[in-house]
Amino acid sequence: MDPEEQEKTSPGTLYQMQKYPVDGQVFKSLIEASLTWLRTNQQAVNVLNVFPVPDGDTGTNMVLTMQAAWDEINTSAERNIGKLTRMVAHGALMGARGNSGVILSQLWRGFARALDNFETLDGNLMVEALHQGRNTAYKGVVRPVEGTILTVAKDVDAEAKRAISDTQDPYEILERIVTAADESVIHTPELLPVLKEAGVVDAGGKGFYLILEGMLRYIKGLPLDVSISSVQPLAAMKMENALDSIEPGQDYEVVVDFHPNNVLNVPQFYDDLQQIGTSIQLGEGDGIYRMHIHVPADMENAPINYIKTLGVVHKATIENLHAQMEEIAREHGNLLQLTPVEPGQIATVAVAPGPGIARVFASLGVSAIVEGGQTMNPSTQEILNAFENLPTDQVIILPNNKNIILAAQAAAQLTVKHVTVIPSRSVPQGMAAMMRWVPTGNPQEVAAEMNSVLNDVETGEITIATRSVEIDGVNVKEGQFISMWNGKIVQAANNLKSATLGLLTKAHADHFELITLFYGADVTRMTVDAIADSIRKKFPEQDLEVQDGGQPHYQFIISIE
Amino acid sequence: MSTEDSQLGRVTISPRAIATIAYQATRQSYGVVGLTSKNLMEGITQVIVKDPTHGIEVKYDGQKISIDLYVIIEYGTRIKSVASSVSNTVKFNVEKALGMPVERVNVHVRGLRVSDMD
Repeated sequence: MDPEEQEKTSPGTLYQMQKYPVDGQVFKSLIEASLTWLRTNQQAVNVLNVFPVPDGDTGTNMVLTMQAAWDEINTSAERNIGKLTRMVAHGALMGARGNSGVILSQLWRGFARALDNFETLDGNLMVEALHQGRNTAYKGVVRPVEGTILTVAKDVDAEAKRAISDTQDPYEILERIVTAADESVIHTPELLPVLKEAGVVDAGGKGFYLILEGMLRYIKGLPLDVSISSVQPLAAMKMENALDSIEPGQDYEVVVDFHPNNVLNVPQFYDDLQQIGTSIQLGEGDGIYRMHIHVPADMENAPINYIKTLGVVHKATIENLHAQMEEIAREHGNLLQLTPVEPGQIATVAVAPGPGIARVFASLGVSAIVEGGQTMNPSTQEILNAFENLPTDQVIILPNNKNIILAAQAAAQLTVKHVTVIPSRSVPQGMAAMMRWVPTGNPQEVAAEMNSVLNDVETGEITIATRSVEIDGVNVKEGQFISMWNGKIVQAANNLKSATLGLLTKAHADHFELITLFYGADVTRMTVDAIADSIRKKFPEQDLEVQDGGQPHYQFIISIE
Repeated sequence: MSTEDSQLGRVTISPRAIATIAYQATRQSYGVVGLTSKNLMEGITQVIVKDPTHGIEVKYDGQKISIDLYVIIEYGTRIKSVASSVSNTVKFNVEKALGMPVERVNVHVRGLRVSDMD
């Protein structure tokens, strides 16, 4: 490649680029630039999603669609722009992901059709191609929703038509349409109420704008791998996500709410904060700005002092990131402390339906946990895997569910280890048995002892009926709370509180000493506390313990002993 | 008929009402340019249909709602992506309006409309 050609495909100033006609290879560089820029800002587009639908990450979908377009031309030396854009359109079509990806592929399809058989792109052709892109995209929907990527394409088309009367230069037209796209994106909430309610602009429109802006930035020689310093709506700030990206040496998270004295210079603000820390986010809403940053240990006051020079600080919070990380790890049950077992000792394996229940079993001394329960019975293989590598050949399994007992017994048959299955039919039974476990001693005696206490505990379970049925003499309607006592349905109720109190009454909880409530993943701590209060009122003689069980589907698993 | 007991009495929602919601969502869904009757023998494909149950079949078995869409898709779009978008949109809108889960949305592509040949 001679030096002149080298220059042609590397970023330069707008002035330098104008010397060259836009052929296939120049356009190839522009596509690469738009993909890079879109990917750099992918997360900023993703946070704009309003609809909680699967596959809904617009930024990701558009990046994948553009990636497919790029893969199609990556190795191509095609100089004919008509042929090259046809490849782009083909790649985008094949790789189109999600709604926005499909629309994007249609824009490219129309764009490519207008350029068919042309060697290079001039101003008039560019205007025509943008127009064709818009038309093709609009044809794909019966009732176009305005305030979306379609609207941005329409506004871009209109601006291109205005621009052509001032200039024939494709680069200058690009500059004009980038500005128009930007304004169009900003106006999307005016057209689509759902965006306004969520306080965001349209994600697909933003993605399309970034594609065009990436091309312009490339021509101007601006960096493509540094995210734009952006101000997000307050509601869209995702600070929990920022925890994923903690870098070594960043010990504190500082969040400052403030009101600037003058109009905030956002790029300058980001530049200054980058001297202090990482994971910078800026949000705006209700007349205040919120800044988020991660900083090293001796720098926790620096962002606050800096912001004081810009305006009035309303509120500042400093949190120790490592403490936050530990809390998250605890919540996810990552710190499960299983009991190490030595050769010759008796190891226990428990099946646990939720992370909280797993922790209780761990605290009682089990050496392995198998996840599973009523609606997700673990396989024989999973149970086998849990104990096969333990360094002892004496194993006791607590299936903790009547449907898992068989799988556990099958696992016992498949190993050379000496395995005893304690037929615990519920979590409370498993826990009662676990209380009698001793790691040393005669395995048969220990198992017998564990077996003997299974029926000393009463098990209560509360769940929601998935269909209307009459069972065990109780008439249950779909959606009602059903109370089960030792596996049998004893009543159906319309709310969780009466289901719980009714169950305890039927199980004669007043004759027992201790009630333990394991609450499931579907109930809030507040609901649980309110119900716990009414239990204490109704059963003042009994001790009540409340534990976060984390099990799915079952609001409560209750142990009465 | 989907039913739900409220405090005062019974609320019933007919499959036709659900079909209307699904129809509105389908019309706004990118790439879907028409609905057609389930049975092709019924006759002419209508590109825009006025009857909201035409091309949309709602089933309710007492527990789950399932919806079948018989659609015409714009030629030149990626059919798989369009179909998955329309099923997501219909599921989301019906669930939002009814507050009841939709178990399945099956999309049957019954034809393509060609606006432009490449």
